[in-house]
Formats: sequence, C-alpha cells, structure tokens
Amino acid sequence: MSIASILTEKVFADRRREDWEKLDELTSKAQDLGVRKVASDEIVELLPLYRAVCHDLAAARAARYSAPLLDYLLGLTAAAHTVVYGPHARDSEDGRERRIRHAWLVAFPQTVRRFRLAMLLSAALFFVPFALGCVMALRDPSFAFRIVPEATLRPLTEGYAQGFGAGRQAGEGALMAGFYIYNNVGIALRCFALGIFGGIGSAFYLVHNGLSIGATLGYVASQGAGENIVTFIVSHGSLELGAIVLAGGSGLSIGWSLVAPGDLPRLVSLQRRAREILVVVAGAAVMLVGAAAIEAFWSASSAPRDVKLAVGGSLFVLVTLYLLIAGRTTEDESPSKRAS
Amino acid sequence: MTDALPLDTDVELETPEHMVFRYRLAGPARRAVAYVVDLLVCYGTVAIVGLLILLAAMSGWQAEEIGASAKASLGLILIFLFAAQWLYFVVWEALLGRSPGKMALGVRVVTTSGRPIGWRAAALRNLLRTADLLPTAYLAGVVSMALTSRFQRLGDLVARTMVIVPERAHRAHAIELSPAAEPAELTGLPEHVPLDADERAAIELFLRRRHTLTTAREMELAAMLASPIGRRLGYSHHNPSRLLAIVYDRAVNAGRFERSPSSLHPRNEPAVGARADGDAR
Repeated sequence: MSIASILTEKVFADRRREDWEKLDELTSKAQDLGVRKVASDEIVELLPLYRAVCHDLAAARAARYSAPLLDYLLGLTAAAHTVVYGPHARDSEDGRERRIRHAWLVAFPQTVRRFRLAMLLSAALFFVPFALGCVMALRDPSFAFRIVPEATLRPLTEGYAQGFGAGRQAGEGALMAGFYIYNNVGIALRCFALGIFGGIGSAFYLVHNGLSIGATLGYVASQGAGENIVTFIVSHGSLELGAIVLAGGSGLSIGWSLVAPGDLPRLVSLQRRAREILVVVAGAAVMLVGAAAIEAFWSASSAPRDVKLAVGGSLFVLVTLYLLIAGRTTEDESPSKRAS
Repeated sequence: MTDALPLDTDVELETPEHMVFRYRLAGPARRAVAYVVDLLVCYGTVAIVGLLILLAAMSGWQAEEIGASAKASLGLILIFLFAAQWLYFVVWEALLGRSPGKMALGVRVVTTSGRPIGWRAAALRNLLRTADLLPTAYLAGVVSMALTSRFQRLGDLVARTMVIVPERAHRAHAIELSPAAEPAELTGLPEHVPLDADERAAIELFLRRRHTLTTAREMELAAMLASPIGRRLGYSHHNPSRLLAIVYDRAVNAGRFERSPSSLHPRNEPAVGARADGDAR
C-alpha cells in the first residue's frame, strides 16, 4: 500500500468516530451491568463493531498516527475484548443446570475416587489422631485438658449428661445452624487452601481437628455421658467428618501436585490440580451445610436414641455408596468427550 | 508511548485478532487500598443488616419470645458473616470481574490471557486468600507478588489470574495546522520531511501542550527542538513554535488525503475527491 492512500489523522478520526463512540457505549454498558443485561440486538452490533475497531487500530498503527489516538483505540479495543471473550458464552440457562447436575452426580464422586490416595491419607491423618485422642482421654481424662481447654469441656459434658429429653429451646436451633455453617465450613475451606504449602497446612488442620474431636469424645465418655454424645454425633457425623476429610484430602492433593509435579512445571501442575479438585471442595462445603442443618435441628432433638442411630447409619451408608458408586457408568469417557 | 519498550509493570497480550494489548498491572499498594474499601463495604453491610435483623427480632414479640427470636437472628447474622468472609469476593468477581473496592480503585481481575474470570477462577483465587493472609497481614501474598512478574499473590497464581488497571485514554483531537500555512512560509521546506519516532513524539507532545504555556516559555521550548531540525532540513522560520507545527504537518500529512483544505502542497483536487469518497478503511 502506498503512503498516498492513507488518510490524515483528522479525517480518519472524523470518519470512524461514530463507530468508536458506539462501541465505547456498548462496552461500558456491558461492563457495568454484566453482559446478560444488554439487549440482544445490541450484542449483535457489538461483534462487528469490535472487529472494525480492531481493524482501525491496526490501520492507525500502520499509518503511524499520533500516540493519543493509538492509546484511545487500544483502551477501547482492550475493554471491548474483555466483553467479547467472556466466560458468558457457555452459560446459557439450561447448560448451567446440566453442568450443576453433572458436577453433583458425576464429577464430585469421580474426582474423589480419582484422588483416592490423597483422600485415604487425609482420612488417616484425621482418624488416627481421633482414635488416639479418644483412647488417651478415656484412660486418663486429664489428657483431654491438654488439647481442649477445661473451661470448654466441663460445660459441654454437663450438657451431654442432661440428655436430649427437653430438645432444644426455640431459636437455639437456628443459632447453632448459623454457628456450624460459619465455623465448620470455614474450617473446611481453610483446610483446603492451606494445602498449597506442600500439604502441610491441611495435614496440620486434619491432625489438630481429629485429635481435639477425639479427645472431647473420650473425655465426655469418661464422665459417663458417652452414650449421649454418640447419639448426638451419629446423625450428622458421616456428613461432617466426611466433608472435613474430603476438604483436607483436596488440600493434600494440591500440595502433592506442587511437590511431585511429574512432567509438568510445578506451577502448571498446581493450577491444573486446583481446577480439577475444586469440585470436591465445593461438594464438601455443601455437605457441611447439610450437616449443620442436621446437627442443629435433629441431632439434639428429643427423638429416641434408636431412631437417631438408624438415621445416622443410613446416612453413613448413603454417603459411602454415593462416593463409591455415583458416576461410575460414565467413568470410562475420555476427558475430551467429557469436556465437550 | 505506544512504541516504547514495555515497562516491567506492564503485561502484553495478544488477542485472536492478533491485536497486541498492553495492560498496566495493579501493584500491592493500590490493591491494598481496594481491599480496605472492600472490607468496609462488606462488613459495613453485614453490620447494618445485622442491626436491622436484631431490631426486628426485638420488637413485635412478647417478652418471653424475645430470647428465642434474638437467638435465631444471631444465627442468621452468623450466616451473613460466613457469606462476607467466603462469598463476597467470589460473587462480585465472577459476575462483574471486580468487587466494589476494585471498582473504586479502577482495577479489574482478568485471567493471565486477558479474559474475564469465571466462577472457578474467582472461587480459587479467593479461597487461597486464606493462604495469602499468612502469617499475618498478607505477608505471603506480598512476597508472592514481589517474586512474580505479574504481581500475582498465591491465589492469582493458582487461579491463573492477575489484577490490571484498565486504562481508557480519552480521545484527543488530531493535531491541525491552524491557521493554514501561507505560501510564503513554505518556501525552503522540503517536499519530504523525515522525522524519527522520538522527534515526532517530542513535537507532538509540545504541540499538544503549547496552549498551556506562556508565549515566552513556548518559544524557549520550541527553539530547543526547532533549531536542530530546521538546520538539518535547511528550513527556517522566525517563529520556532510555528516552524515545528509546519514541519510536523508536512511530515505527518504529506501525501495523505484530507477533506478540509490545510497547509500543504498544492494537489489535484479531482483526484483527492475521488479517493476520499472511497472506503475510509
């Protein structure tokens, strides 16, 4: 192209200004409201406008127009780029519903099974200290005070010793539900996140929680309220402790992906594993919300002991079967098929 | 400057259209301020909503029920606190790419390939906030930002995101030669004026700024550039500022089409008209 066919900057800008301003307007709208709120006929306009302005930028660069014009066009195309290449493309309503169903029925249990070594290690890191704390506290109740403060344990034991004849006071269930969600889900998420330090953070949380829960259980049992605390724990225990183990296992898994990245660079290995395992963390969080509801409204209710045992037993079987079996039929699908 | 080498606080990206963008990265200071704004917004909202819930729970019930409803509303407040701690950033960033604090400070979270982040990336980078916080006051995050080329904290590294300052320059008018050049002024000016990129940029900056200067200062600054350039071209003008404007106009607009008549060399009007009516692009 000879230089003679190039417009002066002023004429170029005057001619194209209308498109630029239109694109600017649409882009700001999409950024402020979210792409979904922009009318579809405007979206249709946006794409050709974006390409045209990209072209303008290239033309302006080739013609060596002045820096302010290039900066303006760069800012404009960069902003439009974030709107055009958003994640919204795959987010049609029914598609989202299907993805959520897929996550629950297939991806969550499958991912747990795929990283079963991490999950088993996590279970060991939780339940061995748990058993240890329980046995030690049963043999010597004062051992529990070294792990959980006496001031916490004594009122707790008195509470369990009274049994559940009265049920919970009105409003207390809701309070406890809020507390369990705030506390337990927070612990699980932290337990996962701190796995980034080679898994050490997760391991610490698992051992610490296992030991203190075990010691509490052992101490309360040693004071003669063992039956009551077991009746209390059994209903929500499989969901709650299971979720902690899964969150901790996810943390161990990202930690291990950093320690032993295989053929990948460490950072890439970590990024991939974190994306894969996120579904387990989300699943564990939802399990804990369910556990919080059961723990707050059912576990301390005045329902007979045998009913609670039956509920707890069937929940345990359900959770185990779900994690072992759900999504098996589609397990053989290749990753590329699953992605599509 | 568009043609300069990138600063190390800039990051370059190429789009599917083969456009190369440069984003300025948001540094720790700006992000810390945005974070404080977010904390105020987030926990301020929780405090106000919590107070309203408590007030609603206290009023309108019989005395013996107050204890129960107060407890229930405390439970609700705890759930709000949980949401503030774990969901606030995730939801804002996944839906709009920035939280209110980031909006206030003009920064945005994008993936390292420059695209808006989705739910997974938003969840990961904010879950990992817990690790960045350690051992205290985001020390891990700041160390990580110092060690990475894109100012990424641990959460950004894991989620493949970065925080940028999207810069939207305002459109500046093209530089015009006004009033148009007199034929007498153009004698001695070569048909082809070679200016290198630095000279062009310097003249451009000067011409855009000169209206803000006093006349004496304008002439003083112009002379610094005008004398070497004029000497090289063998062209002189009594007013150095005017010399720069004419030289710039010739260098940039020589041989280019325009509709409005301007300074430059005589041209065949019909040819200009025919070309100018064509597609501008």
